[in-house]
Amino acid sequence: MAPPTRQSLDDPGRTIPVDHAGIFDAIPDARTERQREFYDLADGEMLLNMGPQHPSTHGVLRVILKINGELVTDLDPVLGYLHRGVEKICEYSDYQQVISQVDPLEYISSLFNEWGAVLSFEKLLDIEVPRRAEYIRVLSAELNRVASHMLFLGWYALDLGGITPILWSFAERDEIMEMLAALTGQKLLFNYFRIGGVNGDLNHEFMSRLSDWMSRAGDQLQAGMGLLNENEIFVRRARGLGVVDRETALRMCVTGPNLRASGVPFDLRRAHPYSVYPELEFDIPTRNEGDSLARYLIRIDEVRQSLRIIDQCLHQMPDGPVSAKLPRLLRPRPGRAFSSVEAPRGQYSTYVISDGTDQPFRMRIHDPSFLHLQLLGLLMPGNLVPDTMAIMASLDPVMGGVDK
Amino acid sequence: MTAAPAPSPWGRIPLGWRILLVVLPWLLLLGAIVAVAVVLVGPPIVDVLAANTGIVRFVLAATVVIVVTIPTAFVIIFMELKVIARMNLRIGPDRVGPFGAAQSVVHGLKVLSKEDYTPRGVDVPIFTMAPVAAFLATIMGLVAIPFAPGLVAVDFNIALLYFFAVGGLNVVGLMMAGWASFNKYSLIGALRAAAQAISYEIPLTLSVVGVIILAGTMSLTSIVGQQAGSFLDWNLWKQPLGLVIFFIAAIAEANRTPLDMTEADQELVAGFATEYSGMRFGFFFFAEYVNVFVISALTVVLFFGGWNAPFDWPFPVNVTLDPASLGSWLLPVVILVPLVGTAVLSVPIRLAFPKLNDTLSFVVGFVLFNLVAVGALAAWAFLSFDEVVGLVWMMVKTYAFVFVFVQMRATFPRVRVDQLMSFAWKWLLPAALLNIFVTAVAVSILAKG
Amino acid sequence: MVPGLGLLKGMGLTLRRFFEPKVTIKYPEVEPDIAVKFRGRLQLLYDEHGTLKCETCFQCAQACPIECIDMGGTDTETRYAVHWGAAETYGERREESALRRSGAPVPDAPYTRFAPVDLDAVEAILEAHDHDPHRMLSILEDVQAAFGNLPVAALKHVSNRTGAWYAMIYGTASYYRHLRFEQTVEEVAVCRCTACLLAGGGRVAAALGEGLRAEPGRTTPDGRIRFATCPTHVPDAPSPLVTLDGEPQPEVRPETAAAWARALMGDHPASRTVH
Repeated sequence: MAPPTRQSLDDPGRTIPVDHAGIFDAIPDARTERQREFYDLADGEMLLNMGPQHPSTHGVLRVILKINGELVTDLDPVLGYLHRGVEKICEYSDYQQVISQVDPLEYISSLFNEWGAVLSFEKLLDIEVPRRAEYIRVLSAELNRVASHMLFLGWYALDLGGITPILWSFAERDEIMEMLAALTGQKLLFNYFRIGGVNGDLNHEFMSRLSDWMSRAGDQLQAGMGLLNENEIFVRRARGLGVVDRETALRMCVTGPNLRASGVPFDLRRAHPYSVYPELEFDIPTRNEGDSLARYLIRIDEVRQSLRIIDQCLHQMPDGPVSAKLPRLLRPRPGRAFSSVEAPRGQYSTYVISDGTDQPFRMRIHDPSFLHLQLLGLLMPGNLVPDTMAIMASLDPVMGGVDK
Repeated sequence: MTAAPAPSPWGRIPLGWRILLVVLPWLLLLGAIVAVAVVLVGPPIVDVLAANTGIVRFVLAATVVIVVTIPTAFVIIFMELKVIARMNLRIGPDRVGPFGAAQSVVHGLKVLSKEDYTPRGVDVPIFTMAPVAAFLATIMGLVAIPFAPGLVAVDFNIALLYFFAVGGLNVVGLMMAGWASFNKYSLIGALRAAAQAISYEIPLTLSVVGVIILAGTMSLTSIVGQQAGSFLDWNLWKQPLGLVIFFIAAIAEANRTPLDMTEADQELVAGFATEYSGMRFGFFFFAEYVNVFVISALTVVLFFGGWNAPFDWPFPVNVTLDPASLGSWLLPVVILVPLVGTAVLSVPIRLAFPKLNDTLSFVVGFVLFNLVAVGALAAWAFLSFDEVVGLVWMMVKTYAFVFVFVQMRATFPRVRVDQLMSFAWKWLLPAALLNIFVTAVAVSILAKG
Repeated sequence: MVPGLGLLKGMGLTLRRFFEPKVTIKYPEVEPDIAVKFRGRLQLLYDEHGTLKCETCFQCAQACPIECIDMGGTDTETRYAVHWGAAETYGERREESALRRSGAPVPDAPYTRFAPVDLDAVEAILEAHDHDPHRMLSILEDVQAAFGNLPVAALKHVSNRTGAWYAMIYGTASYYRHLRFEQTVEEVAVCRCTACLLAGGGRVAAALGEGLRAEPGRTTPDGRIRFATCPTHVPDAPSPLVTLDGEPQPEVRPETAAAWARALMGDHPASRTVH
């Protein structure tokens, strides 16, 4: 019997003998059952590596697809390319420094990361935040939510192949970012919330930019969305794609717009109110389809609600200080605190344990994108390769928050 | 240290004169040789060429077509950059040339200067030949397009059939590229290209059968000739369904958004071109942009009257200026008119702008005269020659369609690959058959009645 | 619902946007409108008199959560160099940049050798050797004899005048052990053995330290003389023992030490031959 050979990669015309009784055969198969199932290919199947360098994987998500033709039969997501150990870094920073350490987690909407941390620290320190500070927090955070959703709306179109909406969205988002830069001093990682308040009062530049933008935001949103919402190609692609029904959504701990797109009207701003949200009027938009189109449309509705909230904040803004009086060195008594905020992507929670020193003993950050990515295994198989990234994008994960 | 050598007479001559002194004798020598050669062997060569006009014409036409693709691709790439940018609320290229017009040229030079990399594991001959195949198919299609009366590279009587036959070759290049690239994304892109070509060639071909029935011929020149008259005589009104089907199928044929499955970058990185770099990559996109032009031109030829003007000019201008009638007076006119014109134009400038000195105002006058002269020549050509009028109308209409192609890229998301197939087979094909049926019935009824 | 109407609407929208004003900022021509409160600029501020406002108080470095600020300077009375940051990794860079940031002059080690020298002496030596590059070794020995070392400026001049490459001169000079580039460093050492201490070594050391203006183990302010302690007592030497470059100096007594040190300090190295 002739020894088995394989084709040389360097010179396809040459064959190289393959010695099957190599040293690697002595090593027992250490793969798990799942790995064996995934990597043993049936006839006609092929592994396709998408990411971490791929035009549409939203950062550094890597998905190994097992495809049969263009049909995805199985997949293996690989995370951790952006892991920086933020939770551990937080344990080596004092409480004020933590605020800027958690900033780059969900870098699209970093005010919510700060809010989660600040809220739990305030619980731990038992601090009363001035009402004006709370209103400023709501105002800036809702602006940030609009910016984040605008980015999603353009991004999703880009993942379906439309190149224009992303740039229109970015024009809007950039206006908001410039506005927030006038308020906070930074354009992306704001580092604006402080324990017991915010860093700096509203200023004239911010207010003039904001009123300028608010006067035309609704119309601009309406006009920009006209490109896609009625576009048959877009609607046909997104409708019925990646359906998450109500039970699955609840079982998989989906939160935020993705949950509300499945028909569950759960919003932390109403369910577990924090800050001054009980005083504000807004609706919780829901949709029952649970598909990509619903997840897309519900974000447009949420932008409208956010504009309502911003409008009310501007009208109800009380006078007073923007920060509570605090000692320079914060040493909370030993204990633990948990807080959640309704981030643009869902429930963003922070759990902090204090041992009485000026640094957190343990800090645990829960990011919604991580749980939403767990849906990939349910949603992607049975779809075509073009739809994998469309489904992934419709869940709107941010890898900074997933990998932490 | 030795003293510097005394400057020779040669060293004292300025650089420009030095170059001229070197080049001029050679030019004179060359001119003399050419003159002698023309006298000695000119007549037999002219005889041979005259005896084989067809071959000469074909070689000339093929060369012109290949050369013309370069500015065409540059213009379309510039449109792609600038139009999409403006629709995205951006400015687009504006640094190189007026309004950034030279940006595509710079892009071309960049692509030329990049490394032409052959990855490990590729099938080298096929990998190398694929861009050539893709480009060749496009060029061969361009050969059959009539741009103006008489201005067609090769005037087939089965030009339409030839066009579709050659257009199908494009996919061979893409398949070669995808298969030889040793990359899964390329492979998927190539297979998509093949599936798409098979699906869309059929409605594309069937959609023009209505036009063929109406025209009774497959010669593109005849089809254009039958649409002469006002814009009401165009096939657009007789074959609206055929036009829609043809246009949709043509988008797929040209691999343009929203039907650009083969290079869907959000899904397949760059599809069949993933592993290509440098000028090989450039050739694919050269071919793609020329393809857009060809498809637009064919749409115009088939449905929008080709080179025919959309309406008759209501005030006919009859220019009976024949330069040849001047005879030997032509030479002094050619020499004197620029001098007189420049002088006439520069005097008022000198008087109107005291800041300009004599030389500067003369230069400005010369430039102005050139503009006026070129404009007058163009106007004269436009009024006197049908070819020029036809070419202008043909180009206007074609680039209007190119604009639509570019605008669609800026507007639409991509269709999913299975939707693309089902649309072709379930909707376009029956509609095309229906179109043929209705056209045939109408033509036979009209012929009877 | 007409199929394709949404597509046409989208086309109309993009066509309208084609003519709308653009949002691009042409950066180098048009300055972007940066908020007053923007914190992105990293710079030290100067007051209206042009004095650096930074007082090197380290508050920013201390508060920086990601520890990207390292800084250094002098204390308020400009006596001690102070710095903040990981000295073991960035010590050298920190010293220099801290000085630069605090506005102090920064000594630039590679250029200190290019201090100008009196070139007439070099010219005379070259004249004596007929500017002959083949006699480079003799030239260099004479230059060293004149200056005590080989100053870079003198070597440059030699290279210029003889036509020999500076690199070859440098190679020659660095090949021979008896040629050296660095300034003469003399070592004054005091023995600290019990016998010497009993014989007045402590008073000698104090007087020498005062005269040389240096602590034991340090060099004099001009960096010419090192003030050290003897490792061992030289045999057959009187106590208290003071050595100059290893040579015992029996004339140095507790009462004469200060005057001797002052004489040593006033002594110019260029006027002395090399041992």
